[in-house]
Amino acid sequence: MALLEVEDLTIGYQSQRGFLKAVEGVSFSLDKGRSLGFVGESGCGKTTLGMALMRLLPPNGRIREGRILFDGQDLLEKTDEEMRQVRWQKMAMIFQTAMNALNPVHRVNDQIAEAILTHNPSLGKQVAYKQVEGLSRLVGLSKHRLRDYPHQYSGGMKQRAIIAMALACQPKLIIADEPTTALDVIVQDQILEEIKNIQKEFDISIIFISHDISIVADVSHDIGIMYAGQLVEYGAREEVFESPMHPYTKALLSSYPTLTGEKAQLMPIPGEAPDLIHPPSGCRFFDRCAGARASCRTNPLVWLEITPTHKVFCYQCGRQCGR
Amino acid sequence: MGNGKQTILELDRIVKRYRTKGFFFGAHGQDVIALNEVFIKILRGEIFGLVGESGSGKTTAGRLIVRLEQPDQGKIYLDGRDITGLKGKASKDYSRRVQMIFQDPYQSLNPLLSVFDTISEPLIIHKIGNAEAREDSVWQAMKSVGLSPPHDFAHRYPHQLSGGQRQRVAIAHAMVLKPEFVVADEPTSMLDASMSAQIFNILLEMRRRLKVTFLFITHSLAAARYLCDRIAVMYKGNLMEIGPAEEVLRNPKHPYTQALMDALPKFVHSGGVKRYETLLQAEREVSGYVGCPFFVRCKVARAPKCSREKPPLKKLDDSHSVACFYAEPGIKTRSGGKA
Repeated sequence: MALLEVEDLTIGYQSQRGFLKAVEGVSFSLDKGRSLGFVGESGCGKTTLGMALMRLLPPNGRIREGRILFDGQDLLEKTDEEMRQVRWQKMAMIFQTAMNALNPVHRVNDQIAEAILTHNPSLGKQVAYKQVEGLSRLVGLSKHRLRDYPHQYSGGMKQRAIIAMALACQPKLIIADEPTTALDVIVQDQILEEIKNIQKEFDISIIFISHDISIVADVSHDIGIMYAGQLVEYGAREEVFESPMHPYTKALLSSYPTLTGEKAQLMPIPGEAPDLIHPPSGCRFFDRCAGARASCRTNPLVWLEITPTHKVFCYQCGRQCGR
Repeated sequence: MGNGKQTILELDRIVKRYRTKGFFFGAHGQDVIALNEVFIKILRGEIFGLVGESGSGKTTAGRLIVRLEQPDQGKIYLDGRDITGLKGKASKDYSRRVQMIFQDPYQSLNPLLSVFDTISEPLIIHKIGNAEAREDSVWQAMKSVGLSPPHDFAHRYPHQLSGGQRQRVAIAHAMVLKPEFVVADEPTSMLDASMSAQIFNILLEMRRRLKVTFLFITHSLAAARYLCDRIAVMYKGNLMEIGPAEEVLRNPKHPYTQALMDALPKFVHSGGVKRYETLLQAEREVSGYVGCPFFVRCKVARAPKCSREKPPLKKLDDSHSVACFYAEPGIKTRSGGKA
């Protein structure tokens, strides 16, 4: 059975101009020990999705439809108090801005120990601090630096501390929202390696969220491409990368400079993402898609299964396959 | 790049130090050397890339060039004329010829100025043309960065624009004076991939049409490869490797450049990328050494040579130079030497 099953999730924000659907009709499932990456441009709803899974949406945000089944339980039916028990203990998050996620006036080890003690008060201080040392070894933080304050840490060390904190209660699922965006390439590489090792060792499931397709590809088994609040392509990373189907995925891949192969002209995607308060009918990529036909506007979109592990949300792709 | 090309800008053994604060009384803390005897010649019409991690001094170099700061030692020449001591009219004239595009378009634009006012401001400051001619220049600049139709954008304010649109306004603002030299400091680090690609193509188009020379500052090797003719790799204020972009990235000679290549996400860049493994697991412990800046992290380095002496930039061939004792032309740098 899947650890996490999300069905037809629609999330939005109340704004002055109306209800903005940041995520619409997203479904996916994630097995134990697997990792799933969501890629898309800013505004595509990927962070909203991560926050909704943790039930940490801002006050004007609301989950309108759908179900989130985590470990057999429906998270949307839980009260805030029950949710607090799930959060961090079973499901932890690594936030986008590592620099600001630590409390500046507490020592790093106190902060990590606090996370442990809050959820397991019976453990006792000594055991908790012992666990902190173990965690620091796991994420490659020197034991001697644990009594430092966050401002004495470099960016990479802060990120390691955050990862240690996310692991503190041995969660089953970690949601990592742009975990390395603010870091240098070498540090980024080390952190990603660390996350991969930890995942293998503890059989944790991970959801990666990033705009950087190369990072997501590096760490995820499966990849979901998001555009304007919808999932448009979903599948095993090899299939999505080697035979991308959706025009948006193709465009995203060809707008990314690489270091290998011929130096090709980058193809930026023309135009802008649609308004999500009054989204257009039919395919949302219509205005920017080179292969769009009039029928894309009028025909209802359905998921097309290309292989059992690769599907795409595009009307034209279906026509081309003759289905 | 051909040797026949003329140098437009030259950094001649530039040193820049920042003084850190010490404890309460008395002596100040240690100096941080942001740039250590950096020597670069940039040729007219090229896009020169400055690549490195944060803290490598690449942004400082850009700021010195546009005279936001002064070097502690060394000279900067534009067309052979020293610009470090310029004053008054000469200084204003220089700032017309040399412009900068900043990293963060969310902070570099004045929130109280409309797009039109932002782009026309430099023209007013430099008293170029009358109102009508200025308006023409602004429309042109807006079109050239893809803000079209310009009338739609002219009266918007920065908060009404997306990140990519803001950065295009910032580029138009820099280009409206028709500068000869532009410093672009990580212009796409705040933007998505498809937006970045648009910005890159705008810069390439500017170079083609207006013959502008660019100093492109970036931490992304892939972006440097796409845009630049030549690149210089910097580490802690020192020039480590300099050469044609394609050559340096295909055949990196400095262990640090190789370490940067190793750190690229593997799945996308996997095909044909060599693994160098030149980075030590843990930093080497040393006390008060004066040698190669990369010594503490370099697997190839050997004491005492590398810890006592700073390797000079040595020429491997006409265009490719490396600051490493063990770099050989054509041969891969030794791997696995013991310290």
